[in-house]
Amino acid sequence: MTTTYKSIALRGVAAGAIAGVASALVQLLVTEIPIRAALAVEEAREPAGDGHGHAHGGEGELVSRGAQVVGGMLGVVVVGIAVGLVFATAYALSKRWFVDRTPFSRSTAFGLAVFGAVALLPWLKYPANPPAVGDPETVNHRTALYLGVVVAGLVIVWGASRLASRLTAQSQPVRVTAVLLAVVAAVAVVLLAFPAPPDTIPADMPVTVLWQFRLSSLAQLATLYVGIGVVFGLLVDPATRRAKADAPVAVG
Amino acid sequence: MTSPAAGLSAVRVPKWAFAVSLLGLIVTYLVLQENGLALGASSELLHEFFHDGRHALGVPCH
Ligand SMILES: [Zn+2]
Repeated sequence: MTTTYKSIALRGVAAGAIAGVASALVQLLVTEIPIRAALAVEEAREPAGDGHGHAHGGEGELVSRGAQVVGGMLGVVVVGIAVGLVFATAYALSKRWFVDRTPFSRSTAFGLAVFGAVALLPWLKYPANPPAVGDPETVNHRTALYLGVVVAGLVIVWGASRLASRLTAQSQPVRVTAVLLAVVAAVAVVLLAFPAPPDTIPADMPVTVLWQFRLSSLAQLATLYVGIGVVFGLLVDPATRRAKADAPVAVG
Repeated sequence: MTSPAAGLSAVRVPKWAFAVSLLGLIVTYLVLQENGLALGASSELLHEFFHDGRHALGVPCH
């Protein structure tokens, strides 16, 4: 019975763990390929190995490369669990979000919206970069800009849900068109208002590696956030449980 | 607007749920963003351990 907050929160944790593991597997099988290529570029840059304050592997490293791969995957799972918990709480609090739909479609739509706000929008404004790109001096500035876009994205999602509930008197096509136009306009304002990425891409970074990394990163983010929405929806939707009860041997 | 809440929207969210959510956000910050602001020198180890995950999730890194 998903009638208490606690049971919903536990489902959020489970959904986050499952989507996190899926995203970590994408990392291991896909994203690590351009990361390895980028690290090779970095290594070629400093054959003398003189410390530039930050070792991405190589001599004098704080954490070995193998541990970074495992730690990176572990980090994705931990973030998945933490986000799943916040996701479940936001879901339980949302009294406006597609209340007329099934829990599964509500959760999936919510997951897509979160992906758009906290992953796709910042990715469009400040595309993900592999190691060996980016000046350590500007990391705090870049982090502040990035978080600013994330917050702006969440405000847009919240605003869209407010607008949709205010327009319930209108017909559905009018409502959907109005909300979509408002979202597109708000996204355009955010993309124009925030400054361009402060760092330039080093000339020695192959464009193919850069874009392979960026697309892998986007696939991984989609797996994580949309995955949380879909799995959480499956876990909280009573329809799923009824189907399971009908065929208990079907799922191991 | 008191439309009959379908499914789960009728769940009562207790106050401690906000503390739990805050904890989730802090964990996310520590794994993805911490660059010495909260933990000082020991953040270096944390940063390096989660390093590939940070890049993979598109968070700004050095
Ligand atoms: Zn890095």
